[in-house]
Amino acid sequence: MQRTRTYECMCLLDNREVRKGWQPLKDAITALFTKHGAKILSGPRWDERRLAYPMAGQHRGTYLLIYLSVDTQAVAAIRRDLQFNESLLRWLLVDCAEVPQTAYEPEADFDVNAIPADDAPAPEPEPVAAPEPEAEAVAETKTEA
Amino acid sequence: MSMSNYGGGGGGGGGMGGGSSRDGGRRSKFGRFGARRREVLPEEPLDYKNIAYLSKFVSANGRIQSRKRTGFSGQNQRQLAEAIKRARLIGLMPFVGRM
Repeated sequence: MQRTRTYECMCLLDNREVRKGWQPLKDAITALFTKHGAKILSGPRWDERRLAYPMAGQHRGTYLLIYLSVDTQAVAAIRRDLQFNESLLRWLLVDCAEVPQTAYEPEADFDVNAIPADDAPAPEPEPVAAPEPEAEAVAETKTEA
Repeated sequence: MSMSNYGGGGGGGGGMGGGSSRDGGRRSKFGRFGARRREVLPEEPLDYKNIAYLSKFVSANGRIQSRKRTGFSGQNQRQLAEAIKRARLIGLMPFVGRM
């Protein structure tokens, strides 16, 4: 029995592969789905950001968010193909009730040469607030008294 | 450990040890905490991409807060936990510590 559902796939791409060319890589990823009969509803680049923890020696990655409509019987084969793809650091394929309107917005230009180096320093942590001088002054006056 | 270590709750329970409450009647030992709980609804969708909102429900060590702290219903608490775990898996949130 055929049953089509909508899925959302968040792909974390290796920046070393992204730097070689964004559009060919994106086409290769979408081809993974279309070859199993999936219909790509939307596939915008979600973000390029620093990872919460290093993966495969990488500290940064590019996220690609794909909304697709596919037969439920083909999902297992898609998952298997995603697992074997080496340009993907991680992926997450989850059921999606409906595609949000923001997914249909045109994708902003993506300059792969503008991607920061992987060893770029992390953003500086917020400075720790120094103790209030008033409290010290009060303590001194008490000791003097 | 004696039973007196349990259920003290800061000494606020008027019915402990068979004493009377303010309204004069005896309070049940059970259900005292649940009765005052008010359900909190999530202000934003509990989605794994909504990291800024999910980070509010994670401790400094990266642990998911309990229902007692979040105030969510069981269904929303499960959605919260699922979203945080998905965000961790995809590298948006750390497993340990805070971003």
